[in-house]
Amino acid sequence: MAPILLEEELKTYAEKKQELVRQSNGKYVLIKGKQVIGVYESENDAIKIGIEKFGNVPFLVKKIEEVEQSQNYTSNLIKIGG
Amino acid sequence: MPSITSSNPNLQAEGPTLEVHFLISRELEAFYKKSGQEMPPPIIVKALIDTGASNCSVQEDIPRKLGLQPVGTTGVLTPSTKGTPHLCYTYFMRMLIPSHNIIYEGIFTAVQLDGQNISCLIGRDLLAFSIFIYQGTLKQFTFTLG
Repeated sequence: MAPILLEEELKTYAEKKQELVRQSNGKYVLIKGKQVIGVYESENDAIKIGIEKFGNVPFLVKKIEEVEQSQNYTSNLIKIGG
Repeated sequence: MPSITSSNPNLQAEGPTLEVHFLISRELEAFYKKSGQEMPPPIIVKALIDTGASNCSVQEDIPRKLGLQPVGTTGVLTPSTKGTPHLCYTYFMRMLIPSHNIIYEGIFTAVQLDGQNISCLIGRDLLAFSIFIYQGTLKQFTFTLG
């Protein structure tokens, strides 16, 4: 199930991904709505700037990479799928 | 460096668990103070240090109780996702063990944790800044945040 929150930001990222990968691979992009706010060296920096600018509202911070890495958990405490 | 050593006669069965407090981030606290908003109280839960977790995760109702909005999404792979990442929200929060002055501010993935009353997995993204010593013969472990 696709999240409803951040849907617009994820669409914006998808539209700009190739350009971002070309220019800033490995960095972190901050997106609000249809707007790319900036590109930052660290994820925490991007989030802190997002909070300073927008406060406690949904915004997207995403690592710029050609192939997105997933988090992995061996624990069966997490209930997803099955 | 802040450090905690915990003993538990049931260490093998229960795993290395800690009582942790969750709060909004320092940045959001400053934003709330500036705008005169009230700060939510801390949420106190049991966390498991999990070397099998690539990242820190929390029970999904913790950010909700703190009134937080997501700062991103991530794909999550577990044994039950069968190779297809499941999209989850991520949140920026502060985790504390106040009695030992351990403070970590970072990204936590919201997931549904079920069983053993564990509401947080401390994963390898935090362990990357830590020393974790598991002494099974002594039934104790030490966690030091660098």
